[in-house]
Amino acid sequence: MAAHTLKKSIWSIGRIHCHVYGVNVRNPLNRATYATALSTNHSSQNKGFPDRGNRGPFNRRSRREAGDPRTDRMPVDQDWTTVYPTATPFRQGSVPLPVRMGFPVKKGVPPEKKGNLELIKIPNFLHLTPLAIKKHCEALKPFCTEWPSALDTGAKCDEHFPIKVESKDYVSAGTSLRNPSARIVHLRVSLSACVNYDYAMYLLTVLYHESWKMEAWESEKTVADMEEYSWEDSPSQKNIMSTLVRMQVAGEGEGEAVREELLGRPEVQEYRDSVTRLKNEGESESSMHQYRDAVKKLLNL
Amino acid sequence: TCLSGTSKNACQSEQHLGQYYTVPASHFHTVFPHGLPPRYQQQVKTFNEGCVMVRQPALELISHLKRADYINPTLRYLLYGVKGSGKTMSLCHAVHYCSTQGWLVLHIPDAHLWVKNCKELLPSSYHASRFDQPIQASNWLRNFRTTNEHFLSKIKLRQRYVWTKRESTEEGRPLGELVDMGVSRVKSSSDVVGAVLKELRLQAGGTEGGFRLAVAVDGVNGLWGRTTLKKEDKSPVAPEELTLVHNLRKMINNDWCGGAVIATLSQTGSLYAPSSAYLPQELLGEEGFDSMDPFIPVPVSLYSEKEFESCYLYYLDRHWLQHPHSQTEEGKKELIFLSNRNPSVLERLCAFL
Repeated sequence: MAAHTLKKSIWSIGRIHCHVYGVNVRNPLNRATYATALSTNHSSQNKGFPDRGNRGPFNRRSRREAGDPRTDRMPVDQDWTTVYPTATPFRQGSVPLPVRMGFPVKKGVPPEKKGNLELIKIPNFLHLTPLAIKKHCEALKPFCTEWPSALDTGAKCDEHFPIKVESKDYVSAGTSLRNPSARIVHLRVSLSACVNYDYAMYLLTVLYHESWKMEAWESEKTVADMEEYSWEDSPSQKNIMSTLVRMQVAGEGEGEAVREELLGRPEVQEYRDSVTRLKNEGESESSMHQYRDAVKKLLNL
Repeated sequence: TCLSGTSKNACQSEQHLGQYYTVPASHFHTVFPHGLPPRYQQQVKTFNEGCVMVRQPALELISHLKRADYINPTLRYLLYGVKGSGKTMSLCHAVHYCSTQGWLVLHIPDAHLWVKNCKELLPSSYHASRFDQPIQASNWLRNFRTTNEHFLSKIKLRQRYVWTKRESTEEGRPLGELVDMGVSRVKSSSDVVGAVLKELRLQAGGTEGGFRLAVAVDGVNGLWGRTTLKKEDKSPVAPEELTLVHNLRKMINNDWCGGAVIATLSQTGSLYAPSSAYLPQELLGEEGFDSMDPFIPVPVSLYSEKEFESCYLYYLDRHWLQHPHSQTEEGKKELIFLSNRNPSVLERLCAFL
């Protein structure tokens, strides 16, 4: 009986101490706590825990409470550049916006920003607000040189620097660094700025004649290679021809004469224009309407 | 008011724009065993009646159908518009008109169903490189039989069809026998569909016992493009390798006469098409456009002011809008704003109220 009560008292003392230090530890180090018949009344502070000074098993003493997030104390007209002066990962306590990100919880909404790893993983541009960029520019100004005052009009720039090279860079998030459209570089030269006129004319003549030469492989050009849609010999033409012939619109007669006559009609011309417009320019409501009117006229509706 | 008394759609005209007409309940099972949008079917069950709004695209279609000359090659009409603007409903309206006028209606509820999610693909017995889809074909034949009961005994076959060594259907037998055979012998149902389509094509507009044939295809852009079906060696199946698609494409050509082809484009359910695509060329592709050309595009737009009013009053009349705020002017303005007058969005919104 005595031993039993002793055991109980030891446990209760241990538990009270756990409560005092704010941590509910039962048997943290998985050590078997014995109850011995003798009262082991050494220092009642660290029952069952070896002496580690004030660090404790989980440093429970010196840990302070996490205070309110900074967002509660942010005035509306604060200077944001002080909150995020450089590129730092997202801190949910510093961003006063109710952002949500991620796959929605079942029958719910995307999870909130508190403890959200998705928001921390992605790059953010919170340090690059327009005000911040203005400040950067102001800071960089002393290091810049002035634009030469003599080049104040576009004409003067063209005169001194006739060749213009334009290249484009693309920014996107994706699996690859490369963007094929970034390989296109435009080089512009105004012909009137060319000093060596004769050489330029010579080059152009050569190019012109070269372009007229037909290579053997050019005859293998298929419909899919054509840059523009041409209505002649297209399925559309064949369809409409056969439809009109079957509708006996042209009257009697066979073969070429009928075809020529049909092709010459204004409705067929209109139809041809509308189909070419659809295919070349892409679709839009207006081109569809044009096509519609052309077909209706053609089929006598 | 929003409910017009005329349930005779032959006399619908411009004055009835925006008003609703009731489809008699008996027609629902025969004319539309498969073909109405699922949400609309639920609405019909809830309200215990089917009311369809008379809208411009459907009226235009019907007027063309009335005035067209059926000796000429078939005219193709294509309904296009943004998602939820009412293309399938307009198609069903036109189908109902054709059916009340005594036409034979060939309604394919969704061509996309034939190019995806097919559990069984059998190699075709008729043509070595093609594939059959027995389940889809027999389902469709069953629905076709329900829609066109009265025609099945009248149309006689013009050719003898041999199915197996022992089975064949003789010339002169009624079409109904062929259809029944297709429903019962599931294995050859795709070929039966092909035979049915061929017979109808040959006989439509004929002078003796002639009938008019309406081919209504929803989601016609599924016939060209890609499928999600794979052969046994995991190579993709092209649409023309499917017997059903091959035969349907022949129907859509205008080399027959005596009827009309009414088709809608559908992005929902289409494969490999971006969700913002709704214009014909985007969804049909080059091949599809060239096959359908020349066709008459019929744009289906969102509700106009008058149509929206009518729909709103209809829902109020049926006590569908229960929330007190929805019955005020403010509430109506909110509905206009939220739905942007898109018919399907409005329907979904009102379902909550």
